[in-house]
Amino acid sequence: MTESGFRSAEDLPEEASGHLANLILALADNKRLLGIRYSDWILGAPSVEAGIACSAMAQDEWGHARILYAMLRDFGHDPSALEHERASNEYHSSELLDRDVASWEEFLALNFLWDTALSVQFEMLVESRYEPIHYKVRKLLEEERFHFDHGQGWTSRLLSAEGGRTALAEAFGAAWNACLRGFGPDDDPLSGTLAMHGIVRRDAAGARARWLERVGPVAAETGLARDTESAWISTREPVWEDRWLARRRAAKGGPDEDSLARARGDRNRELLMD
Amino acid sequence: MNGGAPARGVAGPRHLPRYEAGMDFGAVLRETQGGRELPPPPAFAEPAADLAEGARRALYEVADPEFPISIVDLGLVRGVEADEETGAVTVHLTFTATACPCMDFIEWDVRQRLLEMDGIRHVEIVTGWDPPWTTAAISARGRKLLRSVGVVT
Repeated sequence: MTESGFRSAEDLPEEASGHLANLILALADNKRLLGIRYSDWILGAPSVEAGIACSAMAQDEWGHARILYAMLRDFGHDPSALEHERASNEYHSSELLDRDVASWEEFLALNFLWDTALSVQFEMLVESRYEPIHYKVRKLLEEERFHFDHGQGWTSRLLSAEGGRTALAEAFGAAWNACLRGFGPDDDPLSGTLAMHGIVRRDAAGARARWLERVGPVAAETGLARDTESAWISTREPVWEDRWLARRRAAKGGPDEDSLARARGDRNRELLMD
Repeated sequence: MNGGAPARGVAGPRHLPRYEAGMDFGAVLRETQGGRELPPPPAFAEPAADLAEGARRALYEVADPEFPISIVDLGLVRGVEADEETGAVTVHLTFTATACPCMDFIEWDVRQRLLEMDGIRHVEIVTGWDPPWTTAAISARGRKLLRSVGVVT
């Protein structure tokens, strides 16, 4: 195997091309839905500053989603159809994003745990041999640094207050399993094939380990992670039941009606002018 | 949703002009910003050596929609190539953020400005993100201009 890059989807090994398109679509869908969740808190965050941060983060996520959907043209897909015409059960976004979240603690689980999980998947693409994505992820990650800082800052603040700590532990606990398995099982053929061809840096197990390294120190405060001598580990085993491998999410459900209409921009397109 | 057909040509807020197809967004934006003028491009001692260099210099006249500084001084122009025979020009651009809401305005302005030049018949814009834009990409002249409007980089 040569270490030269793949300049377009055409150059990709056949067995990897579909998996990569699937990964890009999953990342795009997650970013689009996460942007909606961020936007929901622009007016409801505990402080005006946090609301402004939500607005900025929502905009970042939508910018990233747009870039990712556009990349799928290289794989023979119509980005506009992907963005505007799919049904709920065709989305690859995490079950964590299917409906609006009820509290600031649940929001922080998305902001700190799941947004970081997505960033880790981009980290895996930094040196990707698939050049079109390789040339974009550094900018995405640069922007994501602030999302991590925001999540971490607010999480620390809640952990320092007794009531906040309990509510946060509950919200993190509820999101934990979806995050753990969001990377795929250890023997995941999708990420395994991509890793073998140098398209992602590490397979599912490696990516999950990297995520635990990033969120572990905070998650440990809620009893979900533990530092061993060699690595951060989850104190809970992931539950794989009801997971739909090809869609990288829970088998059941999809974005609810309101989320779907916003993700697709239905209302906006009704007002489109020639 | 009420099911009725959406109105065509919806007017924006009162201070904004009515949207029309093919509108020059950059001009609208500059107008709504109080007609702020862009400083003149730098003075060049020599005429442009070729079409690509001429095109690059012309981009000193394309303003960033948010600040009175050219996209060249802001460091958004990563390269210009030109085919003198066909009049095809390729402009490599980056933007300050992936969700930059002004990308369309800037691309429109770049096209408009370059198509005004003799010898340019086609403009292609290629967007790149690597390396990511940072404030280090702003020119010395750009920094000075930004300081004059109270932006410290």
